[in-house]
Amino acid sequence: MPAGDAFTPDQLYDIEKAVRHAEEVSGLHFSVYVGGADSETRPFALELLNELDDPDHTVLVYVDPAGRRLEIVTGAVAKRQLSDAAAGLAALSMQTSFATGDLTGGLVTGVQQLGEHAHQAPLLHANEPHKQ
Amino acid sequence: MITEVSGHTLLVFVGIPALVLAVVALLVFAPSIANGPRYRPGLSWWAPPVWINGPTATKPDPAKLPDQHSLPELPAAPGATASAGAGVARSTGGASASW
Repeated sequence: MPAGDAFTPDQLYDIEKAVRHAEEVSGLHFSVYVGGADSETRPFALELLNELDDPDHTVLVYVDPAGRRLEIVTGAVAKRQLSDAAAGLAALSMQTSFATGDLTGGLVTGVQQLGEHAHQAPLLHANEPHKQ
Repeated sequence: MITEVSGHTLLVFVGIPALVLAVVALLVFAPSIANGPRYRPGLSWWAPPVWINGPTATKPDPAKLPDQHSLPELPAAPGATASAGAGVARSTGGASASW
């Protein structure tokens, strides 16, 4: 690992695997950002969300290790699948791991939880917009 | 009475303990040497930002995107916050935590 990188290749692989799994389970887009914020964490996380390709269907996990802050932001459509309460539960789980210095474990567990919470059983026509 | 210390004695009483200590120290510190610096809450963060599954290079030009006002109306979730990021009024949800 090059000196100064946040994660080893193995750790990155684990996180990416959890992200892919969450996307497959939920059908949403997941993104994880680890780094410092230029401003307050919530507005910064919202800016990051808006930079993504499909913000409305995205769940962004933002971790500020220096500021010890975690933000989970769900897009306009994603929040219908992933409630704030479910996001709060995942945040609690991640918070516990981060407090012990385990960034990778916290991210993997948290993203997996978010994906599971956002999982919706396929219902015929239930999720389609009303057509006239 | 001073006895003469032979090389063999030094090897047994100094060399072997030193070798054992070196092996134990190597076993203890090997993981942290291999993994690099570890995150310790409360200390400064040293690494550059990492964005996993971030924006792709083929992202469409924001200027060509449809007007935000033309987005379909979506029901607001309880506890949802209004996004003020990047000047876009987009309804979002989520959660926050600190440690």
